[in-house]
Amino acid sequence: MGPRDAHAGEVAPPAAMAWYLNPYLHLGLNGFLVTASEILLKRGALATAQVGAPPWLTSIGIVTLGSWWTWAGIAIYIASFFNWLHVLRWVPLSIAFPLASVVHVLIPLGAWVFLSERVAPIRWAGIALIIAGIWLIARSVLEAEEAL
Amino acid sequence: MTAMSLALILTAQVALVAGQVFLKHAMAATTRPTAPRGGMARNLVAGVGMLTAWFLLWMGLLQKLDLSFVYPFEGISPLLLVIAAWIILKEKLTLRTWLGVILIGVGTALVGMS
Repeated sequence: MGPRDAHAGEVAPPAAMAWYLNPYLHLGLNGFLVTASEILLKRGALATAQVGAPPWLTSIGIVTLGSWWTWAGIAIYIASFFNWLHVLRWVPLSIAFPLASVVHVLIPLGAWVFLSERVAPIRWAGIALIIAGIWLIARSVLEAEEAL
Repeated sequence: MTAMSLALILTAQVALVAGQVFLKHAMAATTRPTAPRGGMARNLVAGVGMLTAWFLLWMGLLQKLDLSFVYPFEGISPLLLVIAAWIILKEKLTLRTWLGVILIGVGTALVGMS
């Protein structure tokens, strides 16, 4: 694709781009970063749930900053934001955002594995639908890549 | 509570979608050397501002309402976003993308319900 006045997302990434800068790799990484940060933040919130503080302080969540889990969660959340900006450089928003919905699958699964939370049957059904939707969209992306 | 809450939930979703559209505008400009830098910075700030508004609205809603009431509405955002990307960013959408987004939206609503 030549340097024309392309609209957002229509510029193809340079062919010589290093593999670790591949925007679709970063899109996949985004789901894991967001999930990791949410689970770490929940750990931080659980770790500080017993801390005695006036209600106005606990209601804005400041006491959760007393746990290193919370700080790790914040650090990874910030990393996920910059990672997302890199994704948006090259991937159309109408592809990137729906594929980023994988967090609605990964977070319940992560909470199930790492926090021992229960996953209700209706939630499993939702997870299955999201995976089907992601598969539909990802398949068109793969086919478009092959066609190049 | 319901009409007001629904209005706030919808406002939050619109802020989220607007934030993403601004961020996309800003980052797409970085791939075109001819794009003006000032416009890029302005869009980046607008995007972060919109996402901040979304975050605060969402936290405010969660303080008053159950997560199982608010979370299913997250399912609307992929659909809203794809409509915005189609109209504002002029992105080309295939039938498969529309179908995928509907499945993801319904799935997200179900995940949030329980």
